[in-house]
Amino acid sequence: MKFELSEEQSLIRETVRDFAEAEIAPSAAQRDEDERFDRELMFDALAELGLTGIIFPEQYDGAGADYISYAIAVEELSRVCASTGVTLSAHISLCANPIYLFGTDEQKEGFLAPLARGEKLGAFGLTEPSAGSDAGGTKTTARRDGAEWILNGSKIFITNAGDAEVYVVLARTDKEAAKHHGISAFIVEKGTPGFSFGKKESKMGIRSSPTMEIVFEECRIPAANLLGEEGGGFKVAMKTLDGGRIGIASQALGIAQGALDQAVAYAKERTQFDRPITAFQGVSFQLADMATQTEAARLMVYNAAYRASAGLSYSQASAMAKLMASETAMKVTTQAVQILGGYGYTREFPVERMMRDAKITEIYEGTSEIQRLVIGSALTR
Amino acid sequence: MESKFKVDGAGTWYDTTDLAWRMNEYDEYAIEQAVQLKEQVGDADVTVLCIGSDRVKEPMKKALAMGCDRGVQVADDAVSGKEPFEIASIIATFARDKNFDVIFTGMQSQDRGSAQVGVLVAEMLNLPSVSTVVDFSYQDGGVTAKRELEGGIKAIVKLKTPALFTCQLGLNTPRYPTLPNIMKAKKKELLSIPVGDLLQADPRQQTTTVYFPEKKGGGLVLEGDVAELAGQLVQILKEKTSVLSR
Repeated sequence: MKFELSEEQSLIRETVRDFAEAEIAPSAAQRDEDERFDRELMFDALAELGLTGIIFPEQYDGAGADYISYAIAVEELSRVCASTGVTLSAHISLCANPIYLFGTDEQKEGFLAPLARGEKLGAFGLTEPSAGSDAGGTKTTARRDGAEWILNGSKIFITNAGDAEVYVVLARTDKEAAKHHGISAFIVEKGTPGFSFGKKESKMGIRSSPTMEIVFEECRIPAANLLGEEGGGFKVAMKTLDGGRIGIASQALGIAQGALDQAVAYAKERTQFDRPITAFQGVSFQLADMATQTEAARLMVYNAAYRASAGLSYSQASAMAKLMASETAMKVTTQAVQILGGYGYTREFPVERMMRDAKITEIYEGTSEIQRLVIGSALTR
Repeated sequence: MESKFKVDGAGTWYDTTDLAWRMNEYDEYAIEQAVQLKEQVGDADVTVLCIGSDRVKEPMKKALAMGCDRGVQVADDAVSGKEPFEIASIIATFARDKNFDVIFTGMQSQDRGSAQVGVLVAEMLNLPSVSTVVDFSYQDGGVTAKRELEGGIKAIVKLKTPALFTCQLGLNTPRYPTLPNIMKAKKKELLSIPVGDLLQADPRQQTTTVYFPEKKGGGLVLEGDVAELAGQLVQILKEKTSVLSR
């Protein structure tokens, strides 16, 4: 058992950290304030670095790196800006990856390669007012009409929506079939007639990442855009979310590390009663707990990522990693605000944003309750 | 985990335990300039050389990912004990029969900071050299280099290749290695030569002590209202500095 990063993984961390600190961090607070997605910075620049196709083979213009490298990239971006982290995570895990796993050769050439090159941004449409944790509750429909599918319905809380060009969307193709069997996955392109955008959400955190409703009204797409088998959409969704959990776990880990770094730096500088506040055990014990929890989360996230790359089952490992990392992010950011005290509560310091950003990691890509359900049912099956 | 920078037990170097390592910043500019020159002339081949333990392989991979064609590690676990003349001699011995047109080095290392190695290599190879380069342009075998002197003064130097340049911060903007190039760097040639094969000089100097400067007194906190503070400040500036004339 080896707990050391390879030279490549270590270089990827150094590169993404340098890039994130120099390019992404300076505008993070203002983009959060303005609820502004800066595509040039938050996606095009990632494409130039080769991050947008990080886990895919060179054959599809990916970088051919492993899941640990991907986890590190999302972690390092999220350490300074969780919105940029989720942009990449949703693009890779939720859109490009299901096309890589379930797509035909034509779909991989036509959709995966431009996504990997970063010419196109990806998004994933699963959640609806009545479906989300319960993917089987999908109400959006797709009916076959000759060489086309016609989509009707809407999806909510879609990360990257509006800006993304390629969407992987779940729709019910068989109303008669049992709940989970009548769903299929489709690839839908922005600009398709009948495909429009609804309300843009104003959120507590990850405000620089766009979240929107997407709407289908008699939206016709080519039959060739069915992803995977007809009726196989539930499997596509579940596999996609397994990978997605590694992305969000990495995002949560990055947020936690970012808050820990801020808290340590502040505590070393801040003096009260003529001593740096690190001299008080109340503070140093808190920092010790934050560091320990973050390190534990990191080991779990990298373990899930390792399993995904090694071709081992990773459903349970990614659920555990996501649960651990997201709850750690919430705890650590809250403690970081506490350590920074009054300053921590202001927008002059990034921990306030980090605490708001952390909350979503306990909710999306499966709530903490759903992760416990996944883990629990695997234990008692 | 990264530990605090501290002097080692022998008191002659720093303690390397748990430090995070990265490429010497000055060398990043040297590598970037070499890769830019290769991109300009097209038909060129860039070798990156580094002396040290296996730890140096990671920054060398970064250099390969930035665009160098091959790497040469001069394997030496005791490199931190070597003085600039020895280091320069190792590099010169390696380079002597290779007929490099241009050699770029960092202006200095970030740890020892002697700023001697580059110019010593040039002398040993009988090459002209320009130190502290902040701008570089190449045309038809000739180089125009701008170098930085003390006090913000600059100088323009023209010379023919082959030549050696020591690179100052700000010479260019070192690129980020892209992820695909990091992955491809694995496949590039990375030679390892034992230091004994190249070291032909005896040490000429010895560092006897490395230490942190003594802590000076803390800052002075002035108290009073604004007018009093201004008065006190002017007084101090007059008495203790040359900022204001008395």
